[in-house]
Amino acid sequence: MFQNYLSVAFRNLIKNKLYSAINIIGLAVGLMSCVLIMLFVRDEFSYDKFWKNADSIYRLHTTFAVPGREPFVTVVAQGPAKEALQRFFPNEIEATTRMNGMSPVVRRDDKTFQETIYWTDPETADMFDFDLIAGDMHQALADNSSIALSESMAEKYFGTDNAIGEVLTLTFYSITRDYRVAAVYRDLPHNTVIDLPAMVRIDEKDFEEQSWEFAQWFSVNSVLFYELKPGVNIDLVRNRLDDFANANIEIPSQLGRDIKASDFIKYSTLALPEIQLHPAGGGEMKPTGDIKKVQIFIAIAGLILLIACINFMNLATAKSIQRAREVALRKVLGARRSQLIVQFLGESVLLALIGLVLGLVLVEATLPAFSEMLGKELAFNYADGMTGLILLGLVIAVGVMGGIYPALVLSGFLPARVLKANKSAETGGSAILRNVLVVTQFTISIALIIGTAVVYGQMFYATSMDPGFNKDNLLVVRGTSRSGASDKQEALREEILRLPGVTSVAYSGDRPASGNENNTSVTVPGSENTESVLLGVQTVDYDFFSTYQIQFLAGRNYNRDFATDGRPSAEGAKPGEILNGTIILNESALGRLGFGTPQEALGKAVRLGVGGEPGARIQADLQVIGVVPDTHFQSLRRMVRPEMYMMDTDNHNNLSVRFSGDPARLVSAIEGVWKSMITNVPFSYEFVDEAMAEEFTQEQALAKLLTGFSVLAVAIACLGLYGLASYTAARRTKEIGIRKVLGASVLDIVRLLIWQFSKPVLLANIIAWPIAVWGMMSWLETFPYRLDTWVLGPLCIGAGVVALLIAWVTVGGNAAKVARSNPIKALRYE
Amino acid sequence: MLKLHNLSKVYRTDEVETVALNSVNVEIETGEFVAIMGPSGCGKSTLLNIIGMLDSPSSGNYFFMDEDVAGYSEAKLGNIRKQHIGFIFQSFNLIDELTVAENIELALLYHNIPASERRDRVARVMDKVGIAHRAKHMPSQLSGGQQQRVAVARAVVGDQAMILADEPTGNLDSAHGQEVMEMLQALNEEGTTIVMVTHSPAHADYARRTINLFDGHVVTENLRAAV
Repeated sequence: MFQNYLSVAFRNLIKNKLYSAINIIGLAVGLMSCVLIMLFVRDEFSYDKFWKNADSIYRLHTTFAVPGREPFVTVVAQGPAKEALQRFFPNEIEATTRMNGMSPVVRRDDKTFQETIYWTDPETADMFDFDLIAGDMHQALADNSSIALSESMAEKYFGTDNAIGEVLTLTFYSITRDYRVAAVYRDLPHNTVIDLPAMVRIDEKDFEEQSWEFAQWFSVNSVLFYELKPGVNIDLVRNRLDDFANANIEIPSQLGRDIKASDFIKYSTLALPEIQLHPAGGGEMKPTGDIKKVQIFIAIAGLILLIACINFMNLATAKSIQRAREVALRKVLGARRSQLIVQFLGESVLLALIGLVLGLVLVEATLPAFSEMLGKELAFNYADGMTGLILLGLVIAVGVMGGIYPALVLSGFLPARVLKANKSAETGGSAILRNVLVVTQFTISIALIIGTAVVYGQMFYATSMDPGFNKDNLLVVRGTSRSGASDKQEALREEILRLPGVTSVAYSGDRPASGNENNTSVTVPGSENTESVLLGVQTVDYDFFSTYQIQFLAGRNYNRDFATDGRPSAEGAKPGEILNGTIILNESALGRLGFGTPQEALGKAVRLGVGGEPGARIQADLQVIGVVPDTHFQSLRRMVRPEMYMMDTDNHNNLSVRFSGDPARLVSAIEGVWKSMITNVPFSYEFVDEAMAEEFTQEQALAKLLTGFSVLAVAIACLGLYGLASYTAARRTKEIGIRKVLGASVLDIVRLLIWQFSKPVLLANIIAWPIAVWGMMSWLETFPYRLDTWVLGPLCIGAGVVALLIAWVTVGGNAAKVARSNPIKALRYE
Repeated sequence: MLKLHNLSKVYRTDEVETVALNSVNVEIETGEFVAIMGPSGCGKSTLLNIIGMLDSPSSGNYFFMDEDVAGYSEAKLGNIRKQHIGFIFQSFNLIDELTVAENIELALLYHNIPASERRDRVARVMDKVGIAHRAKHMPSQLSGGQQQRVAVARAVVGDQAMILADEPTGNLDSAHGQEVMEMLQALNEEGTTIVMVTHSPAHADYARRTINLFDGHVVTENLRAAV
């Protein structure tokens, strides 16, 4: 019996080559998409589950809810929070540790590199189980002159030699110190949110002058992990985070008398294994994923598989007429209906199995490219039992899903009618079902096309948006305030300005698209409102606005001829003294301060602290001398903030160079100048337009993947349509013959067939448009600056036209062939 | 009406060459009623298809209304066909998904005739063949005789000068067969040229002339005195 089923199944596959090919290719591509996405999803869910203490480690997140501003949401915490947390939750928290990434210059013999190294607390060695290669983690974090290196970092400096006991010289801020290598650990796997290329112990005394690193409650620079005591429910901590804030943080009185710390600073917390899929703000050690993205891809995998299954179902029911005779004969010979159902389901599972084998071949072929697009190292492990189980489940699910309806229909044929009437035994129901299924396929395809178009549209919009300054032909040399470079700033500026092709240079504290936050609270002297206002601060020099080509709305630029321009130095001033200076504001700041129009703002002043001790502060009144338009200097991904551009020579860490001509030659010329003057800080630079585009790399990858999957979805849907069209053409040969005899031209017939398949595609458009528009509008809402909603209209119509054209091309060739055939054959042999 | 001169049709497959018609000479006058008879495989249907321009001859000439159409393209033949020739088939060949009226209208659909006129003509021709009461029915709801009447209606609705009937009574019982033959005769009396392939000598008797084919040759032509 089984033998008979199998041979019939195989003979059917071979006999109906087109049908088999469409089904197998469609299923293979659908299953390939599923397997690829399954690998991606399983990888995303595997993050940070491997740590021994994964279930009890949590991270503390800080959000600054600044009145009148978008909240500043971070996943990092203040330096003092470590001790405070331990003190406030003595019964709940076992241990806490900070990880603060800095970029010291590392020197070994003549090798000098800028590296990311994490300053951390000794508890790290207890909380996290590193895979040690040599040395001892506790020793490495025992004092302020030992270092723990990852394997790749150790290899970079010491090759294959034993690195333990060797020395690296680190320079950070004004400190240069030798660190002895005390531990080497295996590189962390890619499926963790923790990125630790090297670690040294935090010695807060090293950062006394940089109090923001570890000592301030209004500065967040450290990732803060804490470990719960055994059996403690996280809610015990989570529910008391407001109390924790109020108990530890003192709000400056000028922010208002009745303000509690918890109004201003919100804490939240997240379990370590949850971090990867629940993006919670800025400050991650490396880019994380997003549960939404995972859900989107699971949905896409399901939809593509659904399209493939629909092909399966459609072609099987369509073809059932051809097999009616076989069914009838089997019934006459005594087959029960259930036996027939089993036979036909078995056939479709067999087909799904063949599809899977081909699909796995495709997985092997596409996995490297897929991994690269995602920036992951995904591998397909055949030996993994779970994978095998999922695949087996998929094959059976697909086989049954694709085969159940045809199996039921076929097995329900009444043998007498089929054998006697020699007519199509097909019911009207299956024709309607086929149409519904085709509409479903094209709805999915069209929605995917629209989604892809919107993602590309938004990317194009965001990257081509006018940032308010000229981002082209502009590069930034970084690290100019590091010790070893800061004292040569003026000379460096002059040397670079002298290079051919350089038209203008300017120093600034920050660079475009860094996303850094630096805020200062100011008051308006002489105003009734004594509450302070938080403004973003950009430190600039005289040439900043001309180099970035930002035009003034009112007033003037800083001028070297005016000695009082800029932020006055607190040096030599008496406590309580109010100094004078000047300031340039952006347009948003005017609104925030209530300064009216740019013209009206000129001459008004803001007051801020420039030095001194608490209680004996030295302040400065800065008179507004110029107003510039809002620019997206900070980030294209955030709302423009109220900002002041302060003339201040401190912390000028970036030198912006406006140039013309060949960028490559210029970079090497600047590097030459740099190396001739500065030996202990490595040369690093970036092009502003590239850095700004890089803010959207995630979207870029998403767009590419969406494109890939949309193409697959459309291709599978078209395969099905092609099969269905050839089947329909075959079924309608008699009708086409009659029409031709009656005078229909080839064109008339082609039009007839194309129209038949245009109807479901048009209907699919009507269904897909609202779904896609709704989905994409909620996606777009995550961008403060986004495509206008009306753009979705043309995109929808475009997607519809594309789908229709593809359907026409698919159906047209077949239709033309049928239409050209000689009608007498169709009419003679019934 | 038409004249076939030394007309041959050869079917070729990879290995076999089959001569379906061999130097056939036939002339049919306007207003004639001609029956074509002969055993299975003698070339009757091939001859009818060539006359109906559904197939082209391998060699020889085909003058239709004094025009040699033997070398015409398919599109050109299609144009002549839809203007002058109507078809009736053994198996009716109605479109199952269309109603009786729509099936008849189909013959006008490709003629650029306005919808109102199409309706009038369909109504008129349905009256003529006596199926007006079945206008909204589907073919599957009709008896064979009624279906063939619809086919006849469809063949003449475009005022075709010639009707080609391929065993029009082959699928009908004798009563219905006779009904259809009488209808054809009536049409012939109104001036329509009719060429009919048949196996039935009785039905061939309705024709004024019988052409007997055997193995691709015209064997005899019997002329009958008008009934």
